[in-house]
Amino acid sequence: MKLLRILSLWFLLLGTWLGAGATVQAQPAQSEGTTIIAEPEVEMADVLRRDGKIYVVVVVILTLLGGVLIYLISLDRKVSKLERQVKDEVVNR
Amino acid sequence: MKNWWKILTVLLLVFSVVAGLLSEVPRLAILNETIRNLYFHVPMWFGMILILLVSVVYSIKYLRDPSIKNDIIAYESAKVGILFGVLGIVTGMEWARFTWGEYWSNDPKQNGAAIGLLIYFAYLVLRSSFAEQQQRARISAVYNIFAFAALIPLLFILPRLTDSLHPGNGGNPGFNAYDLDSRLRLVFYPAVLGWTLLGIWIVNIKSRLEILRQRLYEIA
Repeated sequence: MKLLRILSLWFLLLGTWLGAGATVQAQPAQSEGTTIIAEPEVEMADVLRRDGKIYVVVVVILTLLGGVLIYLISLDRKVSKLERQVKDEVVNR
Repeated sequence: MKNWWKILTVLLLVFSVVAGLLSEVPRLAILNETIRNLYFHVPMWFGMILILLVSVVYSIKYLRDPSIKNDIIAYESAKVGILFGVLGIVTGMEWARFTWGEYWSNDPKQNGAAIGLLIYFAYLVLRSSFAEQQQRARISAVYNIFAFAALIPLLFILPRLTDSLHPGNGGNPGFNAYDLDSRLRLVFYPAVLGWTLLGIWIVNIKSRLEILRQRLYEIA
């Protein structure tokens, strides 16, 4: 399953990039917007809301790109299948 | 693994989106964050030129060896090149609206790009006006060579001879003149390669489909 391999690779990469983004973001622990209740060190899924929510845009664009690429991959496989069928057809004649 | 370059395409595009939006860029007045369009708008043009170059190469190949395959690849890559060009001109207009003030400022490079695209639209019209396959393939191959030869001065030479809003033309410095340019390049070149490979991938699929259709005619 070539598609599965490519897909899993893609998601793996997406995961690592998001993970890398999280660690990079965690480093500058600046107290932004200190009006928030000073609950120290409670882990929340903050990554996607930091830096003016730019990560949300990154996720959206990656989703779009992923959708288009998966569509292209499926087209590619369909054409490959058709090529095999035509080849068999010619041989069996 | 003969499809390694397709995986490379996916990796490069994902990298260019993530790094293009998140990486550090020079802080410049007027441009502000739109400098990141360098990673998205400019690769359209680089991709277009490279894919149209593929088209010309196959047109020349067709004239030397008139096989249907060469003609199909020349045609399909011309179409994908035109798609990239249209996307390039639209994204350029969107960028220009917020940095130069207007969608269209009659900038020499804008005008050159528009004329260049019109020349290529004429290629599509020309092709569709022949019923006979060999005639269509031969004449459009010749036209394609002239179209490419006209496009290069329109995009890369004429704008440099006058003042242009585009960087690197007239009195303007290119992006090379900015500091941190090596950081820009680190994302820019992968983006160019990624989008070009994506175009070639589309050409690959469409050509195979078209060749299959031809085979089907032969079998039937």
